Amino acid sequence: MHIPENYLSPTTCVLMATAMLPVWAHAVKKVNEELPREKIPMLGVGAAYSFLGMMFNVPLVGGTTGHAVGGTLIAMLFGPNAACIAVSIALLLQALIFGDGGVLAFGANCFNMAFVLPYAGYGIYKLIMKFVAKRHEKGLDLAGQKASLNLSQKSGLNLSQKASLDLSQKSGLDADKKSVSRKVEYLAAGIGSYIAINLAAFCAAVEFGIQPLLFKDSLGNAIYCPYDLSVSIPAMMIPHLLVAGLVEAAFTVAVYAFVCKTSPDLTFSKIDLAKKSKKSYIPVYALVAVLIAASPLGLLASGTAWGEWGADEIAETSYAGSSLNYTPSGLENGWSLESLMPDYTLGSLNEAFAYILSAIIGVSILIIAFKLFAIPMKGKKNYDS
Amino acid sequence: MKLCSAGASLGTIISFSGVFMSIIELKDINFSYGPSEERVIKSLSLSIERGECILLEGPNGSGKSTLFRILNGLSLPDSGTYYFDSRLIDKKYLKSERDAKVFHKEIGYLFQNPDIMLFCASVYDEIGFGPRQMGLDDVEVDKRVRDLLKTFDIEKLADKAPYHLSGGQKKKIAFAAVMALNPKAYILDEPFAGLDRESCEMIGRLIKNLKLMGKTIIIASHDESDIGELADRRLNIVELMQD
Amino acid sequence: MIPDWMKEDDNYVSPKDGGTFVIKTIKSLAHLMARIKVQKGHEKKRSMPVLLKLILTLLAILTIAISKESLSLMAIGAVLLLYLATWPGEDIASCLKGAVIAALFTALVMTPAMLMNPAGIRNNLSLVLRVFLSVTCLNIFNHTSQWNHISLAMRKLHIPRIFIFTLDMTLKYIVLLGNLIEDLLTSMSLRMVGKNTKKYGSLGGVMGVTFVRGNELNQMMYEAMQCRGFTGDYNQF
Repeated sequence: MHIPENYLSPTTCVLMATAMLPVWAHAVKKVNEELPREKIPMLGVGAAYSFLGMMFNVPLVGGTTGHAVGGTLIAMLFGPNAACIAVSIALLLQALIFGDGGVLAFGANCFNMAFVLPYAGYGIYKLIMKFVAKRHEKGLDLAGQKASLNLSQKSGLNLSQKASLDLSQKSGLDADKKSVSRKVEYLAAGIGSYIAINLAAFCAAVEFGIQPLLFKDSLGNAIYCPYDLSVSIPAMMIPHLLVAGLVEAAFTVAVYAFVCKTSPDLTFSKIDLAKKSKKSYIPVYALVAVLIAASPLGLLASGTAWGEWGADEIAETSYAGSSLNYTPSGLENGWSLESLMPDYTLGSLNEAFAYILSAIIGVSILIIAFKLFAIPMKGKKNYDS
Repeated sequence: MKLCSAGASLGTIISFSGVFMSIIELKDINFSYGPSEERVIKSLSLSIERGECILLEGPNGSGKSTLFRILNGLSLPDSGTYYFDSRLIDKKYLKSERDAKVFHKEIGYLFQNPDIMLFCASVYDEIGFGPRQMGLDDVEVDKRVRDLLKTFDIEKLADKAPYHLSGGQKKKIAFAAVMALNPKAYILDEPFAGLDRESCEMIGRLIKNLKLMGKTIIIASHDESDIGELADRRLNIVELMQD
Repeated sequence: MIPDWMKEDDNYVSPKDGGTFVIKTIKSLAHLMARIKVQKGHEKKRSMPVLLKLILTLLAILTIAISKESLSLMAIGAVLLLYLATWPGEDIASCLKGAVIAALFTALVMTPAMLMNPAGIRNNLSLVLRVFLSVTCLNIFNHTSQWNHISLAMRKLHIPRIFIFTLDMTLKYIVLLGNLIEDLLTSMSLRMVGKNTKKYGSLGGVMGVTFVRGNELNQMMYEAMQCRGFTGDYNQF
């Protein structure tokens, strides 16, 4: 996930770093509001924790291991704004000490792992939790009513017995609610971290993929990363969807579950959820909007449809095609967007729509999946207890 | 992996024949933390018989903890040989994962700082960690944990998170976690440090009982009053090393 | 007092277990600690000011990134290698190791591109070269600078105090918590004598305890700061 030095053009690096400036400013401001003075040194703990978490070898199948980024976990433990700063510092140290991720690419790495990852992961986690809580409350009310109805129907009980039974029923319900909500919480954490790391990987893939499009030498050959979106997206997304996402989710849930079991009052998410204050999800919504809008970039780069990544086709369309376009006329190099455009007819404009549509469909499917998932949690189980 | 009876009888023969042999045999051990650093351990030789109780003395920074790391296979000496229970403990031996695990099971190490030994969500899990690793069934694991909770008189703490407890309680839990593996030899780094009088006496009685049971025990302690009469031998680490 | 089952030896045979994550993590942590703690760096005595070095390093990396001529890359390479050549062998090795690995990795990544589009080989190879040079630059900086000096250097750059304070805290806690994780994993590996069926539980335990301990340390440190007259103004650092 760490973008190394020289894969991105300095222009991109500057752009990404500039994009991070308002994010950092926002995070610092928010942290100052959120955290009391005695918690300020906590940022150092968070950054160290994030740094060390990235070093941890997470067990996979057999004897193999993988590394997690832990952005969502940090956000749930320390809060998303503190996580943004903490992960940024961890990335800075990693770039300086280990050369893990470029110094110039620092801004881009921060954008992916310190901005997209923690905010998206925490946002998704919190959305699921709120949604489930609402559903759950309704279900419990129903169950409670039914239980008391049942009880009042039984005539052989005297009042005190009835009261005590009522109580036990209620406490049983509470305990049940607790264990169910815990599982839901872990699941929410897992889903949040899985989606978030894939979003971050997608951002990295886009950053890689636009390099050959924008930065070429006079012969039309890429100066920095040579792979366009048609290669970079599957190359980044397949391993992340299949492996890295699972590693991240497992790491997040394992640590979060432990802290919840033993010291729940220390986690930010618990404090945050208990507050029930109206929080803005603007960063998350903005992110989703940007991602949807960015999806047609794939079209601009390769001219092939979503999912058609044949090796021969890539060679044909992007390389052969572009080298034809850019033959020695040294003036035309560099900003090539306009010279690319004539290749696309109205048909490709439709394709652009198809891209946006498929992105919207994808997001909708996710939301629907959450809603469907929440149905069994409505409290059916509570009738038995 | 079963504790079958045939194996047990074979084991008795081996351990019986081993009575006349020392369980720990160190010869000419040298160790330093890096090629350019000064040697922490200088040609140290030591032989400990089965069932012996050793009090290891020495000033701070004299290499006691380093020696314990070597005895537990956590550090390999630069030169010299180390035999544990007639097995040569070297890089090759420790590289074999299964051999290394058997070795770790047979030598229990109580760290000076119990904090670093506790990583489970409850005291029960903490003590049950070792037996569970060994593949014992749930009934047997439960028996071991319950027995040890009783031995240390900490039954009330079973469901608590270990690291939220007091220093003395942590020490007891860490000790119980080591004992749950039922090792042949115990290495106890400052077992009395930070304990009140009552707990000290209790740990003292426990060590005495372990000794009666034939376990080999090596203790590093500054508080001689607790260990004085328990020890068969007192060794000063500085005197063990010849320059 | 002592349970019965302790009276006999277990005659234990260990089952096979594919759990190497503990050992791998201990190794990478030990590597990190060596990097941060052991200041075996070269040229400590006659080293130039860290701030100047930091700026020079960043400038060099930037120049490497934007230079389009392979000649200028070669020039930078020549200067770097010439400077390295004055170092003792061990230092050179530890400096170049990371750079060579990074360059090889990049070469591997670039191979498909070179096969697909032979016209771009020149650029791809220059990318490999640039990766090599940047990492070498950074390693030289790392190898000759002490970590606490870097935050001192940043102080002179008028970076907000709170940021530097956090950076200092981070380095401090990386060492403290890193040691804790290393110790926890070590003592865990001593008790992992068989098949660990709950690897994620153990992992969660180690990182969970580390989080709780980090919280405690932070709380204690703040209280100690107050006892020493800290008024809540982080600018006084």
